[in-house]
Amino acid sequence: MNKYFLAKEKLPRLFELIMADSCLVAPRQISGHRYLFAPVLQAEEVALDYTNSHLPPKNYLFPQTQAMFLFQQGEGELRISPAGAASRTVLWGIRPCDLQAINALDPVFFGDYPDPLYRQKRENTLLVGQACDRPAAQCFCSTFGYGPDSSAGADIMLYPCTGGFLIAAFSPRGEEALASWQPLLLPVRPEQEQEVGQTLAVASQAVKKLDLNGVKEWLDKNFQSPYWTELARRCLGCGICTYSCPTCHCFDIFDYSRKQEEGVRYRGWDSCMFADFTLMAGGHNPRPDRAARLRNRFMHKLKYHLDRYNLAGCTGCGRCVRLCPVNIDIREIISDLKEVATRE
Amino acid sequence: MSNCHCGAPLLPALATIKEIVEETPDVKTFRMVFNDPAVQESFRQKPGQVAQISVFGVGEATISITSSPTKRGFLEFSIKKVGRLTGVLHELEPGCQVGIRGPYGNHFPYEQMRGKDLLFIGGGIGLAPLRSLIDYVLAPENRSQYGRVDIIYGARSAADLCFKHDLFHNWPQQPDTRVFTTIDRAQEDWTGHVGFVPAYLEELAPSPANKVAVTCGPPVMIKFVLAGLLKLGFTPEQVVTTLEMKMKCGIGKCGRCNIGSKFVCLDGPVFTLAQLQELPPEF
Ligand SMILES: Cc1cc2nc3c(=O)[nH]c(=O)nc-3n(C[C@H](O)[C@H](O)[C@H](O)COP(=O)(O)OP(=O)(O)OC[C@H]3O[C@@H](n4cnc5c(N)ncnc54)[C@H](O)[C@@H]3O)c2cc1C
Ligand code: SF4
Ligand code: SF4
Ligand code: FES
Repeated sequence: MNKYFLAKEKLPRLFELIMADSCLVAPRQISGHRYLFAPVLQAEEVALDYTNSHLPPKNYLFPQTQAMFLFQQGEGELRISPAGAASRTVLWGIRPCDLQAINALDPVFFGDYPDPLYRQKRENTLLVGQACDRPAAQCFCSTFGYGPDSSAGADIMLYPCTGGFLIAAFSPRGEEALASWQPLLLPVRPEQEQEVGQTLAVASQAVKKLDLNGVKEWLDKNFQSPYWTELARRCLGCGICTYSCPTCHCFDIFDYSRKQEEGVRYRGWDSCMFADFTLMAGGHNPRPDRAARLRNRFMHKLKYHLDRYNLAGCTGCGRCVRLCPVNIDIREIISDLKEVATRE
Repeated sequence: MSNCHCGAPLLPALATIKEIVEETPDVKTFRMVFNDPAVQESFRQKPGQVAQISVFGVGEATISITSSPTKRGFLEFSIKKVGRLTGVLHELEPGCQVGIRGPYGNHFPYEQMRGKDLLFIGGGIGLAPLRSLIDYVLAPENRSQYGRVDIIYGARSAADLCFKHDLFHNWPQQPDTRVFTTIDRAQEDWTGHVGFVPAYLEELAPSPANKVAVTCGPPVMIKFVLAGLLKLGFTPEQVVTTLEMKMKCGIGKCGRCNIGSKFVCLDGPVFTLAQLQELPPEF
């Protein structure tokens, strides 16, 4: 694989080049330590160095609310028109945990019934990853078999080094983009390679790796456990954990029509932490209490997604840990379960 | 096969309501035909599969296709009025347009049922998915491949029995076919059996020999019927049921209908009792 050096001074030029024919979505500083992925209008808005974004970039592939189609009824027949096509997008600076999350979402949205809305966006989006040189205290990505230097899922990777980034392509699409950026790139010097190698080794060391041994096996056998009831006493059912999670994909479908004869069908994020998520007409609810709902979420992260797609449902990004108002912490849950698993 | 015209499984195809039969005070059977004959022709469901029915501006609901695939040119859905969408559907008239996408889900294992006697046990609107299989099996081109067919069906009252024409005319006239109907409480104009379905099952005590039992109904009924069948000596492999979970997408994306690692919309709604016993008790 060919690596190049991309000097910081060249970045504004590169961003303009990208923005000439694509939408550039990159981390932007919102306030203090808070970064969010957002469309870029001016090159200098891109945050070149950030620890992890407040929310993951998942909404650029799977928006919070998204029009599915429009319906119209005139004099005669009803008509349905699919919602607008996806624009070309470059998602810039995605951390390995969020790349990993896209890898975990792909088999959900493709599979036997490829989701046209996701696919359109996915196929029109170039994923530019950015290796982590400064993981946050809550990061535990290496628990799941990858780490701050992982490129899995990226079309292009950026590796921070003095004065800019080393940059490399990891897919045919990435190769093509790099080729068109070629005039802005320089050959890599050996000491730059060395520097990046060192930085990433230090970063990988810094990430807390939890021991998952026995956790999945324990969950396979123990659906009913008082552990969930105990834990759920604290849960508020606010759903922030699921909205901020880069791998959560649940949605609701709803119609909106201002006039009787025309309207839009939307889908919008939903959360298994909400009481009405599984509430059926007639009042039956297979997950009637918080304990059942909390269990479903952690089962999904640590077991169900693995069972179904052979991929962990958690990437160790640490967002739910940071954002849960009552400090329900998946790292703690993993070590608790690990403990019961070894005790039994 | 899915209704993937232009590769868009979330996009309903337009259909027109052709006929409405009032089955009970709160159940109506809608006969629907796709507006596009090519879609109608390519829509091939298997007994037990479901579709998502759209009323535009209101939403969608998961409904079993109650007509047998051997009957071509239309689809039938029997829908109980329980909420918002089903409420609006009940106000519609022939000529109104709806959306249909599907068929979704797995289907009754009708291939493995060949050569066997069949026992159907339904309650209330739960007869709707069973009807697609009953009519499939009783279709002249398929009838010889299956043994005896017994149908046990119950509802709250005589008025609440769905598919009265099938129950009292069509089905009993078929060779080697018996229909046993029951209602929950005695009623003046009713000369048939009185009592709950699971009790009637116990009374009739069908033999499990070379038989497959297929059941669908309200959750409590299913629970007692399953227990009853086991008591009669049926093995969990011989018992087939369909499950209901809240659904939205129907295609394994919205994450709503999971029971453990399974999605009812993809891996179900049809499960054998043996498969159910492997799932976490969350349905
Ligand atoms: C596999 C399967 C097959 C079914 N077959 C039939 C049938 O043949 N006939 C029939 O009358 N009903 C059937 N149902 C039940 C039917 O889907 C619900 O009664 C219906 O969705 C309620 O919609 P509503 O908008 O009127 O109710 P509301 O209470 O307004 O519900 C709002 C939404 O919640 C969801 N929802 C609510 N209850 C259910 C439920 N029990 N199951 C699934 N989703 C639900 C739907 O998305 C619905 O649109 C079936 C359900 C499943 C899962
Ligand atoms: S479960 Fe928490 S730590 Fe894991 S990916 Fe989701 S938000 Fe990140
Ligand atoms: S963020 Fe915390 S309190 Fe809110 S639903 Fe999730 S676990 Fe419960
Ligand atoms: S209905 Fe959406 S996942 Fe099953």
